[in-house]
Amino acid sequence: MVKAYTQEHVYKHPWERVTSASWRKFTDPENKRILSHILDVDTLNHRLDPLSGNLYTTRAITVHAPGPWFLRRILGQDICHCVESAVVDPRSRSMQVTTRNVSLERFVEVEERSWYEPHREEPERWTVCRQETSIRIKPLSALASMAEKVEQRCAERFLQNSAKGREVMERICKYLESEANGISL
Amino acid sequence: MGGMKKEKSSSTSTSPCAHLRSDYQRCFNRWYSEKFLKGEWEKEECVSEWDKYRACLAQHLKDDHLIRLLQPESHSDISVNDSQ
Repeated sequence: MVKAYTQEHVYKHPWERVTSASWRKFTDPENKRILSHILDVDTLNHRLDPLSGNLYTTRAITVHAPGPWFLRRILGQDICHCVESAVVDPRSRSMQVTTRNVSLERFVEVEERSWYEPHREEPERWTVCRQETSIRIKPLSALASMAEKVEQRCAERFLQNSAKGREVMERICKYLESEANGISL
Repeated sequence: MGGMKKEKSSSTSTSPCAHLRSDYQRCFNRWYSEKFLKGEWEKEECVSEWDKYRACLAQHLKDDHLIRLLQPESHSDISVNDSQ
């Protein structure tokens, strides 16, 4: 069983500002209240390719995902570790971020891919973010009857969280904009 | 109704590194906006912030998957293969 969702959002901010905001999304303390499902974000690896200018990073994201009681019982935990890999190509102005769960992968695989690119019509002013989420529940016979429910819950949570994520991104972009305009701290 | 559950004990596994983490993130965010996006990508920055933070993670990360992904200590990046 695989479910896939595609979302698209246009930020009315230039690519440079939007990608700067994306680094701050999970780490600025003022977003903790809205993104309360994110417990910890740690950078595990970063590399800058001096020739191409590409930046590669790997981060660990610890998510609090409380499910219904039966899920917690099966899984034995309600936190989930995800790994996020990002590539930023500053020459072509593109950023790609892939997030995947590394815990509970025996039961469920969630992968989210996001692309940030300049908007086709307003490349200097706007940025498009495309997001593809796929959720695959592993075919475990014991879980078969619950799988549908789990998948549904998982999907709902993802969609809710990406709406919250956009809200936070918009706010950071505004903040960075006012900072750039000299109305700084 | 079962005993008291420890609420978020496992969630703050890397919190001893929180201070070093925010130093690193602050440095990274500034570098990203002010240098990297302006085409200054020849030189790595925030090296000392990263080294301290990484060392702390090496001590406190519990999850096997994550430990494997942590950057090795020796920073000998042989990315340029100048074979001639």
